[in-house]
Amino acid sequence: MMDSIEIGRLLRATTNSFVVGCRVSQLTTPSFGALVRVPLEDDYQIYGLIHDIHIEDDGLVRQLVTAEGISEAILADNRLNRNVPVEMGVLTLGYRQGGRISHLLPPRPPLSLDVIYACSDQEICHFTSAGRFGYFRHILRANELPTGELLAAHLQQAQAAHKTCGDPAWVQSATRELIILLRDDYPNLISVLGALSDVLRF
Amino acid sequence: MSLDFQQIRDQVQQLGENAAGREKRLQGLREKAGALLESYAQDLEPLRHKAERTARQHDPSLRCALPVEGPLDGQFSILALPEKATLLAADGSQIIPDRHAEVEFGLINVGAIQMIYGAPQAPSTHVFSRLFYGDDLYNHTGALSEATIALRRDLGERKLLAELAAQADPPVITFTDGLLEIYGPRDLDSEEASEFQKSLSEYLEVLASMQELGVTTAGYVDKPGTALVVRLLEVALTPEIELADIKRLHPLRGVFDIDLYKDLLEVGARSPVFAVQSPSAKVYTGDLALHFFYINVGREGHPWLARVEIPAWVARNTDMLNNLHPILVHQCRVVGTRPYPYLLHRAHETAIVTLQEKEQVTQMITMELRRHGVNLLGLSQKQGLKDLPGKTRL
Repeated sequence: MMDSIEIGRLLRATTNSFVVGCRVSQLTTPSFGALVRVPLEDDYQIYGLIHDIHIEDDGLVRQLVTAEGISEAILADNRLNRNVPVEMGVLTLGYRQGGRISHLLPPRPPLSLDVIYACSDQEICHFTSAGRFGYFRHILRANELPTGELLAAHLQQAQAAHKTCGDPAWVQSATRELIILLRDDYPNLISVLGALSDVLRF
Repeated sequence: MSLDFQQIRDQVQQLGENAAGREKRLQGLREKAGALLESYAQDLEPLRHKAERTARQHDPSLRCALPVEGPLDGQFSILALPEKATLLAADGSQIIPDRHAEVEFGLINVGAIQMIYGAPQAPSTHVFSRLFYGDDLYNHTGALSEATIALRRDLGERKLLAELAAQADPPVITFTDGLLEIYGPRDLDSEEASEFQKSLSEYLEVLASMQELGVTTAGYVDKPGTALVVRLLEVALTPEIELADIKRLHPLRGVFDIDLYKDLLEVGARSPVFAVQSPSAKVYTGDLALHFFYINVGREGHPWLARVEIPAWVARNTDMLNNLHPILVHQCRVVGTRPYPYLLHRAHETAIVTLQEKEQVTQMITMELRRHGVNLLGLSQKQGLKDLPGKTRL
């Protein structure tokens, strides 16, 4: 059974990626590299990886910065009440339809205000162990993203989930697959492996 | 045809050439006014009697300060903040019915924010929105005017504050932006006068209920442009024999009260409290009588004066005054280099109706009416042409 931790709602989307807005009070759950899902209709849901968490300012926030001390109540007011959402960029990795996981891009993107949930350990295991790591190519193709950091964060989260699900060897398979995919791109491979070595314990 | 900058440029140059001379003359008047304030500083009773007598005998429309606390050039330093207080601020905005719009409607939106000073909890916000459509757009004298909608908005702000204050933990301090008194049509025989009188009666009841609750209430006027104390000095300066002409006599015209107190008040300090001599004094009587003081909410080297209007029950209560004064200074300091009460700004944010929201409401009404088979004329041709892309509005 999946946990249902709501982390925000959809602001805008393409088939490749989408942007989620959330209140600051919801910000404790999502993290960089976390796998999220957007349930749409009957067993159709889209999966993605958080690649950016963006905190917007506005005129009042810039003005408050000039004050000598900001009380807890004023902080709470600005974080909880004011309409300055935290924006999260999500890279689309695949979808589930009819009970089957696909690592292809989804047929259509989610819609405005669709709810985005953090994936449970079971969800992570289910998505990442389907097929042969096809979703890696979406990450490796996104040149503008910090690929190494993103993969390191994702593999760390997924490794912990797979250990819980009784598959501690998953991370070795994933790393091997990354080496294969990046064998012709030595600088990128070194960068990715460097990031992975900082976080993974085999 | 856009603005003729050549014409404007000539006029700007002209005003620049005149400015230095005007400024020199005004500086002389400011110094004279400052000297007068100092010389009359202890004459509270004689000044008060002279101003009241002048209003009674020569100019009932006289609007000036009446000294109640002295000395006139004195200052009251900021005291310690209360340990705990419930702070409430309200503001409002409106959509004025426009017959050229796609659908004609009016709206008032009142926002209030409540904060417990001294507690870490986030403030809570409250919104009251009221739509006017169809028959609501008329009163018994005709179509609702901009002034009537503004009056309903002002009354809505005060009512919301009173409702929230009634449920809040004491001591409660409320503030609104601008004057404490509400304004209506100057011509009391006009068609809107009766609605104003009704609203005024309701407002006085709201004020009285706040007094009963022991609420400290204030109107905060940023960058005040009043010359009430200056006018008092003009009355003081005028010989008895010329008082009959006081309406025409303005020997200190161009000097404002903030010119008097800008250099007198230390950071955080307030001026003495004054009562108000004005035609509206007949309406706000007894414990509701209007009073005010100036307050320096700026920083060292950057004085910034605001005028704070309070009713008599606050002016006479030392504890209320001593709580309100530091709370206002503290509220202004929260915003750093732009001293203005934080909660008033937040109330404004809560109440404001953006252009986008106005368009959304228009769309909601239009769709609902069409769903019920109501034919709409749509935008006027004039408005339609104005809305064409390619020309931006100022």
